[in-house]
Amino acid sequence: MSLRGLLRVPFDGLDRFCARAFPPAWNPMAQLGAIGWFLFWIVTVSGIYLYVFFDTGVAGTWRSIEAITHDQWWAGGVMRSLHRYASDAMVVMVLVHLSREWAMDRMRGNHWFAWATGVPLILFIYVCGITGYWLVWDARAQYVAVASAQLLDALPIFGEPIGRNFLDQASVSDRFFTLMVYLHIAAPLLMLLFMWIHIARHARAKVAPARGLGAVILLTLTALSLAWPALSEPPADLDRMPEAVPLDWFYLGAYPVMEKWGAAAVWLGLAGLFALLWLLPWLPPRRTPPAAKVDLGNCNGCARCFADCPFGAISLAPRSDGRSYEQEAVVHPEQCMACGICVGSCPTATPMRSAPDFVAGIELPDRLLAALRREVQAAASGLAGDDRVIVFACEHGAAADAAGGNAARIALPCVGMLPPPFMDWILSRGLADGVMLAGCAAGDCHFRLGDRWTAERIAGQRDPWLRERVPRERIGVSWAARGDRGQREADLAAFRARLPALPAMARGEKRERAPARPFARRAWPKPLQWGAWAGVFGALAFGTGALASWPDLRLLQPDEAVISLSLRHAAHTRVECQPLTPEELMKLKPNMRRQVGCPRQRWPVYVELLRDGFVLYQGQHQPAGLWNDGPSTVLERIVVPAGRQALTVRLRDSGREQGFDHERRIEADLAPAQNFVIEFRGGQWSLRP
Amino acid sequence: MEPALIEWREDFRIGLPEVDQEHRELIDAINRLHRELVVGASIGRVTGALGDIHAAISSHFALEEKDMQALHYAEFEAHKREHERLLDEILDIIDDVTASGSYDPQVLSSRLADWFTGHFRTFDARLHRWLAARH
Repeated sequence: MSLRGLLRVPFDGLDRFCARAFPPAWNPMAQLGAIGWFLFWIVTVSGIYLYVFFDTGVAGTWRSIEAITHDQWWAGGVMRSLHRYASDAMVVMVLVHLSREWAMDRMRGNHWFAWATGVPLILFIYVCGITGYWLVWDARAQYVAVASAQLLDALPIFGEPIGRNFLDQASVSDRFFTLMVYLHIAAPLLMLLFMWIHIARHARAKVAPARGLGAVILLTLTALSLAWPALSEPPADLDRMPEAVPLDWFYLGAYPVMEKWGAAAVWLGLAGLFALLWLLPWLPPRRTPPAAKVDLGNCNGCARCFADCPFGAISLAPRSDGRSYEQEAVVHPEQCMACGICVGSCPTATPMRSAPDFVAGIELPDRLLAALRREVQAAASGLAGDDRVIVFACEHGAAADAAGGNAARIALPCVGMLPPPFMDWILSRGLADGVMLAGCAAGDCHFRLGDRWTAERIAGQRDPWLRERVPRERIGVSWAARGDRGQREADLAAFRARLPALPAMARGEKRERAPARPFARRAWPKPLQWGAWAGVFGALAFGTGALASWPDLRLLQPDEAVISLSLRHAAHTRVECQPLTPEELMKLKPNMRRQVGCPRQRWPVYVELLRDGFVLYQGQHQPAGLWNDGPSTVLERIVVPAGRQALTVRLRDSGREQGFDHERRIEADLAPAQNFVIEFRGGQWSLRP
Repeated sequence: MEPALIEWREDFRIGLPEVDQEHRELIDAINRLHRELVVGASIGRVTGALGDIHAAISSHFALEEKDMQALHYAEFEAHKREHERLLDEILDIIDDVTASGSYDPQVLSSRLADWFTGHFRTFDARLHRWLAARH
């Protein structure tokens, strides 16, 4: 079984569960993206509220958030908690959404667009989340700052380590804070832009969940906020290292990985994961069915396919064949998913046409209607009795195997591909006693909108209308997810059972243009449904609340301290300045002729830190700059036992083989959790605090 | 040669060139069928021709509806319902011919003629007047 096949198993189970527990309109599986949008707005609104009371500055930040949290716990406190928990829920949503689309194979072929624009959204979410934790400026934020700096410093981007901004309490600046606030506002704005691009190729994209479902989500998050408010740690104090910080595992899960395996491992892992995810649509096996095709001889530019295409893959263009029409339909093959929903909308798509190989105005090259008509005729000739059923089965919903013999199954990419005149023709010509449309779960069409358009066409609410006189009881509309075979089998059995008792299709009889009668949903009894909702939302709330601040990440044992070794120092140049010989001078351009030549290359800086005679740290640091003429930089945090110790720190910056140019012996008494900074500054080793 | 069942008349003109063009083509199709009915074409041939006419009229109405909506035609809803009724009626005619296995050429021809000109006299004429009044 493929990886994707394995991934399908839990989702088939979830689909079945949701079909029993939720009304179709509330099925969360069918609106994960819309839930994501809703969560985004919750985070935005609560964020704007928090910003009103937020004080940006090293000194005021923590206190202002404490005030928001405690002085107005009923408003600001709830807003803060909503801000955190809705963000966490968004990570959950993204994970489920992404793996479900993967499981459904909805990223291959022309689906690539939403996938390739969705994966980068994850990066935005993380920039938002991490900068957000930073802004609280408590012990956790301090860790996030220090660790993020360490992560970023592992990349060869910044000339000088960002971490030096968080060396000790004296080095943090308000300006860095302003930058963080700016990032925390800019990132979601950019994210919104990408969210919009993400859904740009979806006609009628669903950006809001069902109202009731949205209300339940908001209520759940509010209840969680009241029961388990988001709180700050003690204020950040860079002169100390927190022993342990409660981690939000949704956003900060990579940091423990860094603590264990290093920043390079995190970057490599993330880069590999993202590259794989992003490239997934183009990895084999590739499946790209041919796009729908317009037949201009049968197209008068009526725009119905244009109105029904769920992917905006059809547009109307000025007539190109000289006929007197103004417009014609044009398919954009790079956007077409070959669902056939356009075929179902075409007014020329009727099996009552006389030509054996008739062509409709728009058709799928792989599934021509003339062949479909022959297939129906052949299938019908094999049926007998008074419960003959022709099942048009979507390839993505629950299997609709015609068990019991007297039903013939015809597969379509989507039930929305079946033009209503086909149903009319089968029933009015007596080819079968019933037509069953077996699609995906209601509201969860594999291609989008196929279920809705089908139901509306039958009900006479969307073109093409099904003829009034066609008895709706003889049309069985069954919606069941792939994992929900029970529903499908029950629907088919119920449909076949009701057919013999129905009156013959009488001519001239007046009927209401009505929707097809839905089958009984195999939902659980109401109390069980409520129990299931409580279970789902309770588990989500508990999981979100718990993982948002538990388990802790232990940074130090109780009797440990930290030595931060920092320097930014330009070593001596490799070659001393020397007077140039007349020959050397003549080689230079006249305006460049100086009496003394000074090559710019510097020596590396070699640094050692010894504790009680044992080496704690040693390293050779190359000068920065393309010509190796810049300063060397060092930023190391070394965990040591607290208590009295004899330290020796020394460096070599003149290219000498033996001995040291700057050395200092330090008798230190380190308190537990102390951050003891040793810095080379102004030509000598200095200590802080 | 059998005279045409329906003659195109200037007052059939609505004022939307693409719609008027299709009207002429539909009249031609119905006239062709009428000539076949008179000489006793087979049931299959008649229902096939009616099926073709149904497809052509479906797409013709679809186009007319698109134009009416684009122009925000005030009586769109009523006109649309009339279109659907007319389409249903052709299907009913096909059903009748199929079920009885025979047809009376005169009855069927006049039914088609009434069907077509009836719509013209009422709904399309109203659309025409409305379009003319706009200018």
